[in-house]
Amino acid sequence: MMKRKLHIIIILVSIALVLLSVTLLDKKSITKNTLSYITTQENFVAGKPIAIEFKGSFENKPQLYIIHSFGRTLLDGILKKDIIQFNLPKNYYNKTSLVSWFLIENNDEKAKGNFQIIPNDETKTNLESYLGPPSTLVGDGHFTMFVTIPTDNFDNPKFTNTEVAIKHQFLNTIATDNEKTKDFIAWKNIYAPTKSGGVLISASCNEAITKEFDAVIYPSIATDFTIAYKRNHEFADGNQITRLTTSILKDKFGNTVSDGTMVTFIIKNKENVLLKTFGTTIEGIATGQILHPEKENSYIVKAYVNGISKSNSIQINYKSINPTIAYSFSKDNRTISVGPIKSFMNQIVPDGIKVTLRIYHNDTLVETIIEDSNRGKATFYLSPEFYKEKKYSFEIETLGKTIKKAEKNVSNK
Amino acid sequence: MSLINNKNNYRVFLLASFIALNILVLYAITSILAYLNEGADRSTMLHLDKMTINTYLPKVSWESLENPGRAMEKQTLATLEKHYLFSWYIKNNALKTNTSEGIADYFTENPRKILDTIIQQNKANKISIESTTLTHNPKLEFYSEDGQLVVFTDENVIEFQNIYQDKKLVTSVKDTATYKVLMLLEDGFWRIRHCERMAKVADTLQANTNEKTFTVKGNQILKNNKPFVIKGINYYPKNSAWDMYGDLFNLDTIATDFDIISKAKLNTIRIFVPYEDFGKAEVKTEKIEKLKQVLELAKTKKLAVIITLFDFYGDYSVSNWTLTQRHAETVVSSCKNFDNIIAWDIKNEPDLDFESRGIQNVKPWLSEMIEVVKKAAPNHLVTIGYSSIKAGEILKDEVDFVSYHYYEDILLFKDKLAILEKATNKPLVVQEFGMSSNKGFWSWNGNSKEDQAEYHKKMQAIFKEKQLAFVSWTLYDFPKVPNGVAGKWPWIKNKQKQFGFIDVEGRQKPSFSYISY
Repeated sequence: MMKRKLHIIIILVSIALVLLSVTLLDKKSITKNTLSYITTQENFVAGKPIAIEFKGSFENKPQLYIIHSFGRTLLDGILKKDIIQFNLPKNYYNKTSLVSWFLIENNDEKAKGNFQIIPNDETKTNLESYLGPPSTLVGDGHFTMFVTIPTDNFDNPKFTNTEVAIKHQFLNTIATDNEKTKDFIAWKNIYAPTKSGGVLISASCNEAITKEFDAVIYPSIATDFTIAYKRNHEFADGNQITRLTTSILKDKFGNTVSDGTMVTFIIKNKENVLLKTFGTTIEGIATGQILHPEKENSYIVKAYVNGISKSNSIQINYKSINPTIAYSFSKDNRTISVGPIKSFMNQIVPDGIKVTLRIYHNDTLVETIIEDSNRGKATFYLSPEFYKEKKYSFEIETLGKTIKKAEKNVSNK
Repeated sequence: MSLINNKNNYRVFLLASFIALNILVLYAITSILAYLNEGADRSTMLHLDKMTINTYLPKVSWESLENPGRAMEKQTLATLEKHYLFSWYIKNNALKTNTSEGIADYFTENPRKILDTIIQQNKANKISIESTTLTHNPKLEFYSEDGQLVVFTDENVIEFQNIYQDKKLVTSVKDTATYKVLMLLEDGFWRIRHCERMAKVADTLQANTNEKTFTVKGNQILKNNKPFVIKGINYYPKNSAWDMYGDLFNLDTIATDFDIISKAKLNTIRIFVPYEDFGKAEVKTEKIEKLKQVLELAKTKKLAVIITLFDFYGDYSVSNWTLTQRHAETVVSSCKNFDNIIAWDIKNEPDLDFESRGIQNVKPWLSEMIEVVKKAAPNHLVTIGYSSIKAGEILKDEVDFVSYHYYEDILLFKDKLAILEKATNKPLVVQEFGMSSNKGFWSWNGNSKEDQAEYHKKMQAIFKEKQLAFVSWTLYDFPKVPNGVAGKWPWIKNKQKQFGFIDVEGRQKPSFSYISY
């Protein structure tokens, strides 16, 4: 019996001790924390009012300082008995953020903490999208990048891993890729097909759909090509035009190169002089024009797209027209009339043919005079101021033919 | 006669007033012309790139530039960083002044609308928030192929803010958070499109474990693990007091002085780095070089050095913190390898600025600066030289040892020291003390040279008895003291001139016998 009593007493005493200690502990914690944060929610959905509550005895009206993604402010609370409530303004609770709060009483920080405002998935989704670059070349790993930023109706970027369907069309192929957002964005590289043309791109997320974006796929650079020529006749008449044309310039995928591709024709004549003419492509073909030479010559032509591709080289020969040249000297031998110059069909040569007169005295060249033909004629006058009464010999040259005239006495009569 | 005199008087008066009138009219015309000629600089019509220099320089370190999009170009990164920092600067400024100046340049339309409402609200509630960010650790997440869109995570942005309502301080808050930012390139400006505040990430920085020469153990300063008692002197060359690194900088003079100091059985000097003279945030290399030469010279003469930063600095406003931090970082890190530096003294007598500059600005400034200096030179100690022994308790847990200046009565010294010794168990250093032998024309009842010697004799006796660390003020009497130090009143200036142990002619004063113990 005694033992049992002792047991009971011990148990009772220990229970009493435990109770006492618990109440003591409780009291301590109460005296320490005169206020407690009673809002249990940690995540709030954007767009819904947020109220933060504290319980405790407040001597002075405390204020809540908050730091938000876009701003900071100090809030006054509404005091109801021992509970103080702080309501976040609309512009703060509409935007996602980790909000840090600091409860300030008497210029002292009494408590601090955080809560999260998360995007509102129940509101309308908006999709902002960017495509760039807006054009690219075919194939070869060229691509254009499509970036979408799905947001909720309060312009908050959606949760990570929100699915965005990115669609793109080219000719008969339409593809859809589901991309997930990371770091606010869902994006995809749209690789260029090997055919030039336009790629249409759009995206959708929930009910939000973007407009149609189009990327232009330009042909790539030209590959080597061939050239040909066309002319009226083969005579070196200094008047007709020879047309140089390229084959259709294509890139390595067989796309006709973009219009306006510049082609340079480089021409080397018999005297190793380089001549140049240019043409830009239309529908892949570039045309260059050259004037026929005035005397027999042989041209070697090669065309280039500068730094990119080249053509074969072709040879163009020009035959001399072997003109018949009439000429006469005036009485005093001071006026020399050349002409009419007759061409290959005995027709008078076109105007503007170069006629050269070389004047020698004792086998040394005194002067070279060049005149253009007019109605097949050219006239030279040796002025008395310069050409004293002496013996001169002459050479007349035109259209590749030279006539030598023996010494004549130039007088003043 | 009197009539004639009267007439002359009138004439003089008329002439004088005529001339005075003319002067006034001329003055008025010139001021009108000057007024018409002032106004906006014409170059502001152009949309020129704005300069971040000297406005906002928080520490920015890009962690990674790797991203699944386009490779980041150096040039773009520089512009991006500049504009991103500007967005912070402008936001901080908007929250301080409650105006939306510049917001349109660095924020796209939607964020701009939110910011405008926030500013309006704060304005209506008379809330003004003075804030700054101190460090940014951005990590590039994405850079679009066309170079128009960028996303990055700015990890652990340290923000400090003083909150005012009705122009009264409510509280100061320091917080760290991560920001995820999406910026778009519009009209040549990188503008914030989305910005989301997130929880800070765990810091991966490791503590530096370099070899330290000077360490603190209990209330003792150790040099190579052996107790080191600072027996020092505040040093300025005689002819360039408070302008040590100016035109009169001469290593030979300083070398001679250092010889005098070490022969007098002193082991430490305290020197000063003036903030503006060193070029503020853009520290001048030639000044750093001079400082390094002095440190090198001190090393050869076996003198340890306490360097006091921010001399002649007095603006602690939150918006300029980043500039001062860059200054300290440059100066301190360029001297971090000197093993004869005992400590960096953050600021001379900052407690005197508490009232005029606001304790809410000065104290956190000091506390942040301690961190910056410790990071820049992890091998050196940090202290703050307070103006009085009573102020020694401020930030006592953040400094490595407590420094204070003592110009009060010798009789009270021991008692006051006992209070401080009770408050902290860190080492204590009397970083300035002394007496001016300024008896003379400007001060009839000043102290004579003999009084000064007596003073030092007594102080040294106390130091010897308690084995205290001391740094006395100062080696020389100075022929010239700038107005910035002691004001322009000759009787105050004159006092400041005669604290030395050696007079202007280079003769040792009687106090020189008591320069050390």
